[in-house]
Amino acid sequence: MNLKFLKDAFIIAELKAIPDLKRNPSMILLIAVISSFPLFYLLVFGGSLSYGLVGAMVATISFIGLAAAIQDISQDRYVKIREMIVAMPVNSISYALGVALGPLFISAPGLIFFMVLAVIQGALPVWSIGWAIASLLLCWAAGSSIGFIISTYLQRASVYTLNNIANIIGLGLVFIAPVYYPEEILGSLRWLSIVVPTSNTAGLIRYYAGTMQLPLNMVLIRWLALAATVVVSMIIVSFKAKWRET
Amino acid sequence: MNVEAIKTEDLSKTYSGKQPVQALKGVSLSIKKGELFTLLGLNGAGKTTFLKIVSTQLSPTKGSAYVLGSEVMAQANEVKKHIAVVPQDVLTYGNLTPWEYCYYFSLLRGKSKHETEKVSQKALKAVELWDLRNRRCLELSGGEKKRAIIATALASDAAILLLDEPTSGLDAVARRKVWVALRELVEQGTTILLTTHMMEEAEILSDRLAIIDKGSVIAEGTPEEIKHLAKEKFRVVIEGNAHDLNLEGNSRTKLGSKEIVYVPDEDQALELVKTSLKKGVKAEAARVTLEDVFVKLVGRGEEA
Repeated sequence: MNLKFLKDAFIIAELKAIPDLKRNPSMILLIAVISSFPLFYLLVFGGSLSYGLVGAMVATISFIGLAAAIQDISQDRYVKIREMIVAMPVNSISYALGVALGPLFISAPGLIFFMVLAVIQGALPVWSIGWAIASLLLCWAAGSSIGFIISTYLQRASVYTLNNIANIIGLGLVFIAPVYYPEEILGSLRWLSIVVPTSNTAGLIRYYAGTMQLPLNMVLIRWLALAATVVVSMIIVSFKAKWRET
Repeated sequence: MNVEAIKTEDLSKTYSGKQPVQALKGVSLSIKKGELFTLLGLNGAGKTTFLKIVSTQLSPTKGSAYVLGSEVMAQANEVKKHIAVVPQDVLTYGNLTPWEYCYYFSLLRGKSKHETEKVSQKALKAVELWDLRNRRCLELSGGEKKRAIIATALASDAAILLLDEPTSGLDAVARRKVWVALRELVEQGTTILLTTHMMEEAEILSDRLAIIDKGSVIAEGTPEEIKHLAKEKFRVVIEGNAHDLNLEGNSRTKLGSKEIVYVPDEDQALELVKTSLKKGVKAEAARVTLEDVFVKLVGRGEEA
């Protein structure tokens, strides 16, 4: 296995995340606070805190993942860092992976915080942590790859337009989809929660935590749907993405 | 075997679209190892397109380009090991410091942390940014930001630097600091290809240069050789009433109250100065500049 490929991805992720974290550590707090807003409403107006904590975990990892995939790529084009990297011995996949990994560094503290809280609250049994992490990682990959589709197909859009699109889609995926509330509310539209990676992930975590019942075949379908989102998105990206201009 | 640092053969590029634009038309150039070669041209002449193709960022429509013997399309990965690029109008990430720029970009070249720290320090000192190394780019002036990016390219330790208008936007002092750093690199064996539309930069810095106009190379050689391409080797700047000086037949450029008169040799230049002074008109003779020749070659000067 080519270790430089992975090493480069981590260097790019570090370049994207660590200076920002060093100079703006409040970013961690901001992400955690945004993700915990719905918890406040659940506490005040009533609702299941265990559902809310799962939602906060999903929100922490997916909102910034998607936004960063769009914003970082467009920003890199704008400041021409991308041009410098294209002319370097760096693989395009390493670059994409690095761009996606960067926000993971930033959201990790918030994610760990909500995960610990969920374990303490009994919303996430210790034995289900591994499943939760696996589904969250796939959710991160799905969010990032959706972000890559947008940044690839809207190359001519301004950085500001792309920022707005990133925020609108991110907010929709996290706060409108059944991430903080039970998907059963959707009734006949419940299938939508499988299609949307954030609510799908929330459903899987709840299943492994024992707070939502699902037949085994549906669990499998959910995992496949998450993986398919990543694969299909990357295929769509590959049609348009060009490392070298033509 | 003495392989050229950069060689292009019949390099052409047409940007497709509703109205296709032919940016390069059969450019064949050869740049030796260890020389500073300048592509001089007006905006839109094709300089950036040439540089992008050589730096593996852009596919040519026709022709080939080689870097240290490796073809830029077929052996792009090999080419990338030997080059570092400073794009035109490059901006910086506000939260990164010059040190972080050099450090991370150097790490991406597969260097060890120790090596990276060494080359980063050397590069930042070369562009006189060492004292500002830990300041965020957000807090740096435009010139300092530009120097941070140039330092990033220097820290690559690449054999060939491809610099697209590296000093545009810099003040005279900052520009000269960059020039000194670039010339030092060339003395140490680095090959530099830079593009510019600044004549003084091309004249002072270049070992050799090519003038590119509308996608074609129209002249190539040392700055002195290029200057010899002009029929008139001297210029006389006349300030005041030049009507009585009988300048018919001379190539001239009028600049308000001043007039630049081009003459073939020194004797005629001195003669014109004498005549002018006798008639009470200020006059000063000098050799033609690269800019004079450039304007004549691209044929867009405002001749009187």
